[in-house]
Amino acid sequence: MTSTDERPTTPNAQGDPVPTRDATGPRPDAPVVLRVEDLWVEYRTERGWMQAVRGVDLEIRAGEAVALIGESGSGKSTLGFALQRMLVRSARVARGKVTYRTRDGKTVDLLNVDDKQFRQLRWREFSMVFQAAQNSLNPVIKVSDTFQETARAHGEHNKGRIQEKALELLRKVQLDGDRVYNAYPHELSGGMRQRVSIALSLLLDPQLIILDEPTTALDIITQRAIIDVIRTLRDQLDFTMIFISHDLSLAAELADKVVTMYAGEVVEDGPVRDVFYQPKHPYTVGLLNAVPPITGEDFTPLTAIPGATPNLLNIPSGCPFHPRCPYRTDICSRQNPPLVEIAPAHYVACHHHDQVTKEPEIWEHIEVEEVAEAAV
Amino acid sequence: MAEPLMALQHLTRQFDTRRGKITAVDDVSLALHPAEILCLVGESGSGKTTVARMAAGLLKPSAGTVEFEGKDLQKLSKDEFKEYRKAVQIVHQDPYASLNPVHTVGETLSAPLLHHKLAKGRREATRRVGELLELVDLRPAENFITKYPHQLSGGQRQRISVARAMALNPRLIIADEAVSMVDVSIRVSLLNTMLKLRNDLGVTFLFITHDLAVVKYFGWEGHVGVMYVGKLIEYGPTPKVIGRPLQPYTRALAAAIPEADPDLTRSKEKLQLRSLDIPSLTNLPGGCVFHPRCPYFEEGLCDITMPPLVEVAPDRHVACHIVERELTGQIIAAPATRQAAAD
Repeated sequence: MTSTDERPTTPNAQGDPVPTRDATGPRPDAPVVLRVEDLWVEYRTERGWMQAVRGVDLEIRAGEAVALIGESGSGKSTLGFALQRMLVRSARVARGKVTYRTRDGKTVDLLNVDDKQFRQLRWREFSMVFQAAQNSLNPVIKVSDTFQETARAHGEHNKGRIQEKALELLRKVQLDGDRVYNAYPHELSGGMRQRVSIALSLLLDPQLIILDEPTTALDIITQRAIIDVIRTLRDQLDFTMIFISHDLSLAAELADKVVTMYAGEVVEDGPVRDVFYQPKHPYTVGLLNAVPPITGEDFTPLTAIPGATPNLLNIPSGCPFHPRCPYRTDICSRQNPPLVEIAPAHYVACHHHDQVTKEPEIWEHIEVEEVAEAAV
Repeated sequence: MAEPLMALQHLTRQFDTRRGKITAVDDVSLALHPAEILCLVGESGSGKTTVARMAAGLLKPSAGTVEFEGKDLQKLSKDEFKEYRKAVQIVHQDPYASLNPVHTVGETLSAPLLHHKLAKGRREATRRVGELLELVDLRPAENFITKYPHQLSGGQRQRISVARAMALNPRLIIADEAVSMVDVSIRVSLLNTMLKLRNDLGVTFLFITHDLAVVKYFGWEGHVGVMYVGKLIEYGPTPKVIGRPLQPYTRALAAAIPEADPDLTRSKEKLQLRSLDIPSLTNLPGGCVFHPRCPYFEEGLCDITMPPLVEVAPDRHVACHIVERELTGQIIAAPATRQAAAD
């Protein structure tokens, strides 16, 4: 089932119709590259173990672009770090399994392979681009050396070939290859550094790239450039992509599949057009109702989600969203709803998903007592 | 129109940096009328925060004046300045940094009341603190009075900042990226709280942000000024400026923003800039500051003089030679400057 589209083709400033670039949607027939099963990640705190990722199930298929969407404390970044085995020392995987399928079809238990094996997979099979790329490139190491070192560490010793590949990638991300290749990171702007990081992540032709908040903290026009670069790269090189963001519009731009997280759990997972046009989890609806379109000269009333994101040391009983939810009934505080498939490839964890609509009215009368409690 | 509450006239501010003198704000004039919302948008380095700091009296202009209720800030007597400081309050971006971590909410909010003698004694201060918490929708107030900032969520902390700003019954609140650090799901309710202060109590807002979506919602009934490398390049009613931007930079900005709607955002018309790089303030291009990036660039016009901000249509002010020519059929630039540049 594909969702119906209420929105007509948007005319541009001159009033000419612009062909709509279609959202491709997930790829149900492609092999699963990454499978996450019942993953739990927790942090040690003074007040005990804080669960940041709670029973996440996820399937990423070859060639898909998947957006992990959530606010602070949703667990999206922790999940990203766990997948890359880059959790801080105070964190641990309490339970769960992450299976990765290599290019040549071998299955790897990512959380249990030894470090040596894991290092062989990183960069060649999957790589990561971090938020605030300004900090992930060493400021006193030339861009050229970073590319050379990365390739050498993974068995590629032909300097000329590495340089050729690096220059080609730098050009692909719309940078002046020769200049940037010989520059130090501190000589580059934030947007340029972010593009260097993206180019670097592609150096050894990985199958999967994980981008953590790739456009956060960049100016709007720079953000646009990064989005366009990622889109073009995906058209040219058919890699699989997971990006982690708090920004719904980034998901609308780039994702085939959108996964909404709340309080460490996946609450909705579906094809991008289903999630945006027929969201079935009240939290996804709430997020969508909280951002206005910029295009158009009409006022868009927005509705707030009442209350605040929960303290992860004190997660509400039942459905973690129930204290803020306009659809809540008794069962919601008693039983955490499982993620169920409500339409092909569209999963929702809500007892009342069949009642959920995008209509904003229902949100106006919900009372939530404000409690002083840091969300951590 | 009635007398403005605050008038910024030809505000200019320079800073000495290691790489030379920069003009962070260059000849910006704006007026704020009572109960109006004026949003100032721009990217990093646009000068919007420097304008806010001058309007707040935290920074002296290098040239130009800030007038509050018709009086130049630099010429106020000590008592008058004290009154101004009460009438104009600031809400900062980072509620984690702007609240004292060792003071409870009650202490934070009652301090200005007691200091300015707006409450006679502890009991009255406590009652007033309760009212302030209700005003910013932190109900019931008892849940908060004895709490420390670290016990509050980011959204709640920012509400405390707003409550503290409201303690002295200000006429004007200057909010500098006040909702930028707050998650989407709670941003709207924080904006609604501030809108209520304006609608019910007539508080005027100078609202600084980089986010056009926030401007569109919060500033819908007001005006918006768009800044680029220190210059005000477009000014007009919010629905018009965002819905139909005129200045090429504003157009590029609006076109670049991704929308939370897959079909809309993937079909949105983009405005391709000639360069992605924002010029350095130490080395601004001659002529129009936007010309090296502008898709409408015309040689011999845009690289000669900086276009002044002119009214090209009723209440639509734009600094652009091309837009000006198209909408007014002429170019009103200072002839002396143009002559000099042509020589």
